Amino acid sequence: MPWSRHLGDARLHDCYFAARTGEAADPLAADHLAECSRCAARYRDLAAFLDGVHADVLAETDAVFTPERLAAQQHQIARRLDLLGHAARVITFPGRLAGDAAPPARAGAAVVSSRWLAASAAAGLFVGAVVGSMYDFGVRTPQSAPAVATAARPAPQPPATTAPPASLARPVSVSSDDEAFLSQIELALGGPRTRELQPFDAMTPRVQEISTRLR
Amino acid sequence: MSEHLSARQADPVASGAIVPAVAPHAQPALSDDTRLAVEIRGLVERGEMDEARDRFAGLVVAHQRRAVRIAYQYLRDAAEADEAVQDAFVKVFSHIGSYREAWPFEVWFTRILINGCLDRRKARMRRERWFAPAEDVEAQSTAARANGPDPEAQLLAAEQRSRLTAAIDRLDGRQRTVFMLCHFGDCTPREVSAMTGLNESTVRVHLFRAARKLRGLLGGAP
Repeated sequence: MPWSRHLGDARLHDCYFAARTGEAADPLAADHLAECSRCAARYRDLAAFLDGVHADVLAETDAVFTPERLAAQQHQIARRLDLLGHAARVITFPGRLAGDAAPPARAGAAVVSSRWLAASAAAGLFVGAVVGSMYDFGVRTPQSAPAVATAARPAPQPPATTAPPASLARPVSVSSDDEAFLSQIELALGGPRTRELQPFDAMTPRVQEISTRLR
Repeated sequence: MSEHLSARQADPVASGAIVPAVAPHAQPALSDDTRLAVEIRGLVERGEMDEARDRFAGLVVAHQRRAVRIAYQYLRDAAEADEAVQDAFVKVFSHIGSYREAWPFEVWFTRILINGCLDRRKARMRRERWFAPAEDVEAQSTAARANGPDPEAQLLAAEQRSRLTAAIDRLDGRQRTVFMLCHFGDCTPREVSAMTGLNESTVRVHLFRAARKLRGLLGGAP
């Protein structure tokens, strides 16, 4: 017995999917669709829309993934599967260019000398690190700090009684050095100081500008 | 694979992520591809890798077209979809030992594929946050296609497809996943239910709502 009420959109959708996937449709809904012209028209609209969407997607994918491309993909998958069991190859770093082949007699000597070079470099680094850690760069004699100033300015030395104590003079000289160093860094970061590079710097967009524009 | 799935347990398919259902639906009989997958698993376990690879080529051929359709709809980039499909097949083969025939092969494979696509989408969004966008390759390819025999018709078709794509992108995560799996992946609501862990009737509701929303967005009767 057919329904007196019309089918809802959800039931129409279920009918469409049942027909498409070959599942058994609800018999009551199928009967109603067969007898009610209004619901049948709605069903045809829905089916036309969804079939259109499906056809569009198929056409688009088929245009992008042509049979040749699919064959290439199959080949690529097969190649990757062949490589699955094998360990990755390690390519040795080229010791020298192919053109300048050294004579075999010298090869051993070259290896030995390169080892000596590496060992001496490591030893130098070690000695430098040890000496650097033992030597206190901050300790300066009272005469060593103003030495540069006295060379530039040949003014008479103030009497020893007016000279600041070493404990006060040292932090002042260190902080002024630091400030000069930081200002140099700021200048360098602000833009290239080389005149030839300045047009390129002007053309190069800043990260901040790009991120602002993207937002 | 299991890490990916467990990482999405908090809100299973809100973002479209695919998680295993609690209990797979009982299958009356094994489908051909499921039987083939079981045979390949046996070959791999016995160490007959050459034979396994040869048989696996049959599975690739059977599922490739559907896979590229799903991946392309997710990623909207041919090269990336190509890689996602390759990765999914390679992952399936290398993990075939963990395959259980309680799941249809199609369901298992599609879950792996879609999780890979979602990872790629996420990675792409991260890239786009940090780097300036490249040139619009899609627009270029559309223009290239328009140089064919009937440029006007092709341009109209391309425009219609881009409207459809935009409308699908406006669906929420679950609706989009369910709609794409049913309409582009040719999955039944029961299969989608097995893939997503959603109740079958919930899948049908999402499907219907997605279709209604799409009709509204594309200018048809909602």
